[in-house]
Amino acid sequence: MVISLLICIAAVVLEVCTLLLLSRRSLWRAYPFLLAYVIWLVVGNSAILVSFISYLRMAPEVRAHSLYPSLYWHSDTLDVVLRFLLVWEIFHQTFPKGSGLNRSLSKGLGITAFLLLVFAGATFWGYQNYTSLRSVHLALDRSFDFVQAVMILGTLVMARYYGVRFGRNVRGVALAFGGWVSISTVNSAMVDLTNSFLPYWYYLRPLSFLVMMVAWIWALWVYEPNPPILESGTAELNQWTEDWNRTVSAARTIIRP
Amino acid sequence: MINLILFTVLGLALFGSFIFIGLRDSPKGLPDSSAVLAVGQIINLEGSSFANARRLLDDTDYQVLCSNPDLRRLAERLRHDRKQLALTWLSLLQNDLLTLWRFRRFLIQRGVPSSLGEELRTVQALVLSLLLLKCIGLSIRTAGPFALPRATRQAGQLVDSMSKGAALVLGRIPAAGWAEIERSWVKSAA
Repeated sequence: MVISLLICIAAVVLEVCTLLLLSRRSLWRAYPFLLAYVIWLVVGNSAILVSFISYLRMAPEVRAHSLYPSLYWHSDTLDVVLRFLLVWEIFHQTFPKGSGLNRSLSKGLGITAFLLLVFAGATFWGYQNYTSLRSVHLALDRSFDFVQAVMILGTLVMARYYGVRFGRNVRGVALAFGGWVSISTVNSAMVDLTNSFLPYWYYLRPLSFLVMMVAWIWALWVYEPNPPILESGTAELNQWTEDWNRTVSAARTIIRP
Repeated sequence: MINLILFTVLGLALFGSFIFIGLRDSPKGLPDSSAVLAVGQIINLEGSSFANARRLLDDTDYQVLCSNPDLRRLAERLRHDRKQLALTWLSLLQNDLLTLWRFRRFLIQRGVPSSLGEELRTVQALVLSLLLLKCIGLSIRTAGPFALPRATRQAGQLVDSMSKGAALVLGRIPAAGWAEIERSWVKSAA
């Protein structure tokens, strides 16, 4: 219990530090969705901390009526949804609106994201998940954590494929968040798989969350956004298109004279 | 049961992928190209903007003149002029290095974040670059401008790398603040 309390306090402290870093030098203007998510973390985890302290001060026989378990699970459900803000922020920073890459990829990636959400919904809907209240939340966690990790990894891989360079801010936030949701997926699956993993679950997920927050603080310590994507002018693009079309027609002529 | 095992395996694979990307694609500390351009606009780098270093240090004209005994004196005069020009260019490069260093200190003085290790590496690079310029200057004075043409030409790259270092620091400020930095820099330099 003492360790859990210390983890809760450390989480709130680290979240407040992240919020202060974002407010310094107007960094929040560059990352508005990240700011919204961090504000949610501060508010949600502060409420959990307060309810946890009151839970600890209650007599053991009346703890069943405490607000803490219900608040914990409901805030976790809301957190699952709000984490998509972060996924959007990372995508939006990597492929900024108006860039050629965004125009080319947004439709395809939008369809992929929709299919991933359908997949998450389908895996969550499985009736075997509803054996106990805890399993419902664990199923929600692992389904959406997995999908969010795939979305982040997909964004990073696409950026690498097209040679988009990352700044320290987005790169640090994306990698730490991706790592944490991956661990969270494994964690929530393992708990349902074997009860012997249950004692570790209480510490592994929050501790990995603390590591993520430390990584975010490191990433946001200096302002280092993604370098702008250099794009060619319309005249140059038209010239490339003409050259490309000429090459294709020449190749066709050679294949079928 | 199967889907739980699948989630565990895939989750571990995803975690491994993030670790792999994190370790493999570590940023090289390259500055943003717009920051490099901005540094060029804020600071007037006279030495590195000289584009004809190759021609200045090319001894073809000198050899042609030397091949004719009647033009030997003219060849010596050309050599002397080139030597003076090369020394002036090196002196401008030296000034560029010192200006970039001052600009970097100016940025950090205004609150742009930097680490002690980064600052020590910058000072080390500056001292080595100045020493190298001194050595090249000494070789030009003693052996003439055509003795070490390649090393002399590459002296311009020392300023380029220092300029990238300054751009890296400038890139830590949002681009909207660069105009204000330029105004303050001009005011402080006046």
